[in-house]
Amino acid sequence: MTAARGIGLDIGSRTVKCLVWGHGRILSARKEINTHDPLAVCADMLAEAGHGLTIATGYGRRLLSGYHGCETVSEIKAFARGTKALQPSCRTVLDIGGQDTKGIALGERGAIEKFQMNDKCAAGTGRFLEIMATALGLSLDDFIREAGSAEQAEAINSMCTVFAESEVISMISRGLPRSAIALGIHQAVARRAVSLLEQVGIREPIVFAGGVALNPCLAREIEKQLGKPLVIPGDPQMVGALGCALLAAEKS
Amino acid sequence: MEFNQSHVAPLIDDEFQGQASKRVLSYIQGKRRQGMPVAGLYCVYAPMELIRAAGVVPAGLCSFANKTIPPAEAVLPANLCPLIKSSYGFIVTDSCPFFALADVVIAETTCDGKKKMFELITGYKPLFVMDLPQLPDQEEACRNWTAMIRNLGGFLEKTFERRISEARLEEEIQATNVKNNLMNRLFGYAAATPPVLSWNEAYELGLLAQAASTEDLQPVLEHALETLEQRKVSGVHYGKPRAPRVLVTGCPLGGDSLKAYRIIEEAGGVIVALDACTGMKPFKHFIEEGSGDPLAALAAYYLKIPCSCMTPNQKRLDDLDALIERFRPDAVVDVVLHACHAYNVESYKIMNHLKERHRLPLLKIETDYSNGDVEQIRTRVEALFDSLDR
Ligand code: SF4
Ligand code: SF4
Repeated sequence: MTAARGIGLDIGSRTVKCLVWGHGRILSARKEINTHDPLAVCADMLAEAGHGLTIATGYGRRLLSGYHGCETVSEIKAFARGTKALQPSCRTVLDIGGQDTKGIALGERGAIEKFQMNDKCAAGTGRFLEIMATALGLSLDDFIREAGSAEQAEAINSMCTVFAESEVISMISRGLPRSAIALGIHQAVARRAVSLLEQVGIREPIVFAGGVALNPCLAREIEKQLGKPLVIPGDPQMVGALGCALLAAEKS
Repeated sequence: MEFNQSHVAPLIDDEFQGQASKRVLSYIQGKRRQGMPVAGLYCVYAPMELIRAAGVVPAGLCSFANKTIPPAEAVLPANLCPLIKSSYGFIVTDSCPFFALADVVIAETTCDGKKKMFELITGYKPLFVMDLPQLPDQEEACRNWTAMIRNLGGFLEKTFERRISEARLEEEIQATNVKNNLMNRLFGYAAATPPVLSWNEAYELGLLAQAASTEDLQPVLEHALETLEQRKVSGVHYGKPRAPRVLVTGCPLGGDSLKAYRIIEEAGGVIVALDACTGMKPFKHFIEEGSGDPLAALAAYYLKIPCSCMTPNQKRLDDLDALIERFRPDAVVDVVLHACHAYNVESYKIMNHLKERHRLPLLKIETDYSNGDVEQIRTRVEALFDSLDR
């Protein structure tokens, strides 16, 4: 791995991630909640990150294009590079973030072979899970815990956030247990993720990245439906920023 | 994206720079003033040679603006192809100048949405609907389509009180062949590496060539050919020399959906082939001359158009093979309009064909006429270019 220094910035819809690479290792990694002023958040992070070429990805990347010589890459490229560093043999990447879901098929040497994205609506993303938790009157952590403890699931049919929300509300009013509804929601999101992966082709090892990979119940449901294990990096939210930092270091 | 030199002479040297539709409108208005009737069209299956032989000017109707969609949605379902909604919106808000000029409207039973939309516009202008066969490879298809073309001839003769002679039809067939030959030579300059013709120029030439007669067009196209040759000689080219070459296929694009082309360019690609009814598609083939049965020759020619409403539509793959060989793209983008099931479903076949036969990646973009998805499309296109092994 390269010894040069590079800064990676992943400006997502919910969080901004910044990672500094140097001397062949991660020098620092920082995560902030995105505000209405993402540029200010980024400027602060970059000031702290110090010198070095910066490469940005994520929906906000264009905000930074041209900012202090900052370059941009697509999230697909960033995630492919980050995953390759963490799990060199990885052939399939699933990334579920706050506002979008991606499936990437990688070649043997880590090249992007195919990708699919779902980013037009919140269905199946972190945002979807948050809205469903709120509809159930639960915090996100409790929602995940309830789902994990459920013995059986109530099937959710709608994946449109608005329709799913009313479906959930009508289930609550029918007196169905919240844990079963919570599990049903997780299963529905898992189904969507699996179908996205099927579109790019599923080959092991499969890396699950993005903020939603921190949800153990969802990871388990996806594994069950795939019948295959998922590899979850230590800090799944930083994969994109790591990829950018490495690309930057390789360019310097 | 731009040319590598400043002050590159435009291909069509007139006062309509950057106003392709106005150029066409002004052409049709001119014909109208000379007393020629106008037929409004929605699709490239309309047999132009018959229309022209009847002394009628064809006019493509407006269907590419987001602004006419909200009024259309007062009647049409939101979950319908934007092209159909926009077309209808133009009519109910009385804002399509081509429709205003049209004496009659000619329509074809291509996709369900269009077919049913036509029923809603019957009251505005005399409408002639042609029953388009959808299994073009069957023997009956050509017979039936010949009969439909004959019926259209009867309708035009009756409406405009004139006769369409076989000799005139034959002349128009020959004229189309001359035109298509010129258009294909022009498009050849996009096949150069790097291209000498920009996508916008190819698009504008296509738009004008659908409306104008070969007689009026020939000097314009010949001038354009000379201009392109001069560009080539003086080393003018379009886009960055190493930019990934993109073939764009799929639904017709124009007006607000031209954003797809722009995003591809902004992401660093150079568009070398426009495989759409608003691009190179209508000029691809030739009509049999001197067949003794001009109507059947026309029918056979039009059934070669590989629209997704046809099944199994093997011709789309065959035409793509030829385009790929000629334009040598590095990637293909399939632009599918929202709720266009035919193109959307067919995309899977296209993807597999490109992968197996040409080892080319396909990116499918589903979009409408709004601007809401520009950033999402950009991310996909950038990722496509990132994934190219170049
Ligand atoms: S895509 Fe099909 S329906 Fe649309 S203009 Fe072309 S031939 Fe006609
Ligand atoms: S784009 Fe598709 S749905 Fe829309 S009019 Fe054309 S064929 Fe019909």
